[in-house]
Amino acid sequence: MMEALRQEAAKLLQEKRAALVIGFADRPGRPALFVSKPEDCGALVYDAACRQNLAAYLGKPEIRARLPVALVAPPAVLRSIVVLTAESQAAAGQVLALAVDRDAFLGTFDASRAGELLRAKYPDLAPEPALLERVRELSRMSASERAAFWQEQFAKCTRCYACRAACPGCYCNRCIVEKNAPQWVSTAALGHGNYTWNVMRAFHQSGRCTLCGACEAACPQGLPLMTLNAALDREALEAFGSRAGYDPEAKPMIGSWNTDDDHSYMR
Amino acid sequence: MKTEISDAAAPASAAFEPQITAFVCNWCTYAGADLAGTSRLQYAPNMRIIKLPCTGRIDPLFVLKAFENGADAVLVSGCHPGDCHYTSGNYHARRRWTMFRKLLALTGIGEDRLFFSWVSAAEGQKFADLVNDVTAKVRKAGPFRATNPGRRA
Repeated sequence: MMEALRQEAAKLLQEKRAALVIGFADRPGRPALFVSKPEDCGALVYDAACRQNLAAYLGKPEIRARLPVALVAPPAVLRSIVVLTAESQAAAGQVLALAVDRDAFLGTFDASRAGELLRAKYPDLAPEPALLERVRELSRMSASERAAFWQEQFAKCTRCYACRAACPGCYCNRCIVEKNAPQWVSTAALGHGNYTWNVMRAFHQSGRCTLCGACEAACPQGLPLMTLNAALDREALEAFGSRAGYDPEAKPMIGSWNTDDDHSYMR
Repeated sequence: MKTEISDAAAPASAAFEPQITAFVCNWCTYAGADLAGTSRLQYAPNMRIIKLPCTGRIDPLFVLKAFENGADAVLVSGCHPGDCHYTSGNYHARRRWTMFRKLLALTGIGEDRLFFSWVSAAEGQKFADLVNDVTAKVRKAGPFRATNPGRRA
């Protein structure tokens, strides 16, 4: 599988279909590896330890200057590429996905065709059972227990924004947390700012999160960020039938509406 | 933005008076509140109204900011579906609130702290009843300061 991936990456560079291949290096922690010469493709690896979502690099100016790029993409990352295409952050012909699964290389797909592969092969990507159990566990708590739980978790947050850097969905040039006139989110690593930051980070991903898990993997403090992401993912599906990253033509969940959307909670 | 809603001035023995922040749209709920006033309807004095052009303009951050600054509860209210002055602002807002209230509930700000309603410009009585009802519920729930997950440290 690894050999097929390396050969395809080398071929893309050789044929100049891609100027840069982004993959994973054979080092502890599996950091990203940027390859621009076909002969260097032998250093690429892919296995379960590769937790980073490489689509996050598509927002970086250094990478944008080197389009077209190809990147190693497991199913969740394919979804991220579709989300970025839908949001005009990646264009057909500029981003190629080297689609991989746990133990197979599935081929090269243009950004515009990643959705087809997903719909055909992974029509029902959902949070892992262990993650869903975390959501259920939270749901069983009372409001004050939930508040205490998150207060304890968010108290660990050092506001390093590794979660933001790891997420392909967080591509704003100027994040709300950096705006200071007025300052909406306190930047001190204290209770209220930490709560607002983590809640708004999750909210800005609602209907857009592809459950890749890169934010939680990147968090040096081990915050259970995916619990909120998974809960919102299920809510988006149940309330609006929305699944991010399957169709680049679909309207974004937040930003579109139906006259018959649920409002049973409205008085 | 720094003004903290504080009950420090009130004597320690005073009974709990809920402080509720209401974000309402200019065209329907604010006019409904105005009608309640001009109709001389009596209702609980616990709500502070912040008027915005449209519910579509109410960023979820506003709600968090109100809680951060000590609100015991927040009410968001606007035009009934189909009545938006800007055609679809409330439809956009509705989707946002469906997701946002789920998120807040999971982090400890539940249904007894965050209220939503549609109140038209003709519904002065509904507005007065709503304020009374929300105030009674929050009074029952008690002060939020101790359990608010986003309170000021």
